[in-house]
Amino acid sequence: SPRFIALCCSSSSSSDEEEQRLRSELRQRFLWTLSVMRDKLVQFDMHERVRVRARFGASDIDVLRFQVSDLETPLGVQREALLRCQDVLSCSFEL
Amino acid sequence: MLQWRDRSPQHWHEVVNHEVCVTNRDQQRFEGRVFTVDPVSASVVLVSVQENERPSVTVILGHAVTDVQILRRGTEETERQMKSVFLPDRAQILSA
Repeated sequence: SPRFIALCCSSSSSSDEEEQRLRSELRQRFLWTLSVMRDKLVQFDMHERVRVRARFGASDIDVLRFQVSDLETPLGVQREALLRCQDVLSCSFEL
Repeated sequence: MLQWRDRSPQHWHEVVNHEVCVTNRDQQRFEGRVFTVDPVSASVVLVSVQENERPSVTVILGHAVTDVQILRRGTEETERQMKSVFLPDRAQILSA
């Protein structure tokens, strides 16, 4: 999986160590982003130019699904939902 | 040419702190300063600060990214500003 490739490095040469250091720095910043995003009203741009809003809850570790609350869809408000990240092109929120 | 999500951490790290234009596969463009690129999903986190507006954050999922172009290089000051927005203990950073 992408996470296995990202987190498990078989050899330990100095260039690999440097690569792993960069991975961990980038990942840590991404985790900060998710924690800032929590409980924020987030706009999700999906395929076919569909745009929905919801309160962001969490992401799974592989960034395959987002858990959201009060998802505003064209068919009504869904109290709790999981969004497949493959269906999401981008998401944005204000600080 | 390598897809964005197959690139190396070095390549992703090179765009951090710079102002970029990200194009997705629907040909939508997003401009902002790169806070990070998730090494698992290759998603790009952009911060944009407009005058008289609250800073906004956009995450472009890695599977949808087709191109990233650097527009303007960042400085130590822009890096410090971005970190102060995201770090868990903001008060500590602002007083440092």
